[in-house]
Amino acid sequence: MQEFTWPGRTAETELAFDLETAALRREFEQRLEECGTLAFRVARGVLRNAADAEDVAQEAILRSYRRFERLRDPSRFRAWLVRISFRLALDHGRSARRREQRETAWATDVPKPTAEDIAASNEFGRRLEEAMAALSEKSRLVLLLTSMDGHSLEEVAELLQLPVGTVKSRLHSARKQLAEKLR
Amino acid sequence: MTCDKYENALLLTAASNGELDAKLARHLERCSTCRMTLRSERELFSRIDSALRAQVNGDLRPGFLTQLRLQLSKKLTARPGSERLWHVAGAALALVLIAMFYPLVDARQASVQGNLQTPTIKVPQSGGVKQSRRASEDIGVRSRHHSKRPAQNAVPQEPEVLVPPDEQKAFAQFVACVAKRDAVAQAFVTPVATKTVDRNTELPQVSSVDIADLQWGRARQKEWIDQTGSSE
Repeated sequence: MQEFTWPGRTAETELAFDLETAALRREFEQRLEECGTLAFRVARGVLRNAADAEDVAQEAILRSYRRFERLRDPSRFRAWLVRISFRLALDHGRSARRREQRETAWATDVPKPTAEDIAASNEFGRRLEEAMAALSEKSRLVLLLTSMDGHSLEEVAELLQLPVGTVKSRLHSARKQLAEKLR
Repeated sequence: MTCDKYENALLLTAASNGELDAKLARHLERCSTCRMTLRSERELFSRIDSALRAQVNGDLRPGFLTQLRLQLSKKLTARPGSERLWHVAGAALALVLIAMFYPLVDARQASVQGNLQTPTIKVPQSGGVKQSRRASEDIGVRSRHHSKRPAQNAVPQEPEVLVPPDEQKAFAQFVACVAKRDAVAQAFVTPVATKTVDRNTELPQVSSVDIADLQWGRARQKEWIDQTGSSE
């Protein structure tokens, strides 16, 4: 089957388009490692499940590639990726169908529990999960990002495109709310 | 000083992991309860932070990025024109559907317009009579709902009323009835002063009036009294 070509598009324009696509892809792959980790961590912070977080991160990165041409500025790209990963993770967590699939997968192929899984499965982890779920989405995202290694308040503010003062107040409020629920 | 004063400061210090205020530090040197509170609060926040860090900073599975690159390649090597082809196909399908259903819609509109035009009776409107106007508006409701005319044409000077053929006779009777009432109503409403009628307003000239006693007989009088008495 012959490839579809818009009328009026010449071989030169096709070639230029292909070259641009290749350059875009190279640039994207250079950022993939850093951004993949970021997306995965955000998703894992919401979902507390590595397998689901991988799915979400993959989806977020594929989506981000579609928008990469418009988001070439690294700070804008990272900010966008954090937001889309967080949103997708929330949607994923809310989806009953996905949860059902996860449960059946868990029943058929029991994975080896990691140290984090064990920690999360204890009483404190359960209560912390409940308290986190009660937080607003904004506070939750700030809390997750500031908990990531190597993310200072300034970096989180840049990621969320917010003033540092706003990040500080949201973080303080979120920690206070968590402590009240866990006390 | 009481410990209540320092409660908020203690919680704030524990939450922010900040340095102790000099005043608070002096109080803590003396108050073991507040020292215990601060220690337990700091422990709580430390547990929260470590649980969050453990949750968030999990490392990626080694094969994840490889798998991601593979997925990305699959997406990228997918025929770039295929998505556009679907768009073109969708647009073509939409055009075909419009072409198929447009004659049906057109025929339906024509039949509706035909219904609006053919069986029409024009009701003569008499000016200034509210009753007939209201009656014609009530009848006109149906025609207004069917016709797509502007609002200012909804109450025309001579309203056209759509009447089904089997109701035309009854409607004609009704119109006649309304017209009669119009005539009566117009007679009431029309001011008398506008009409110039030569009337003789003077009292009739009577030369003399003779008033005579009743010439009833006695028996007739008695009968009349009995009648009026029984009626009362």
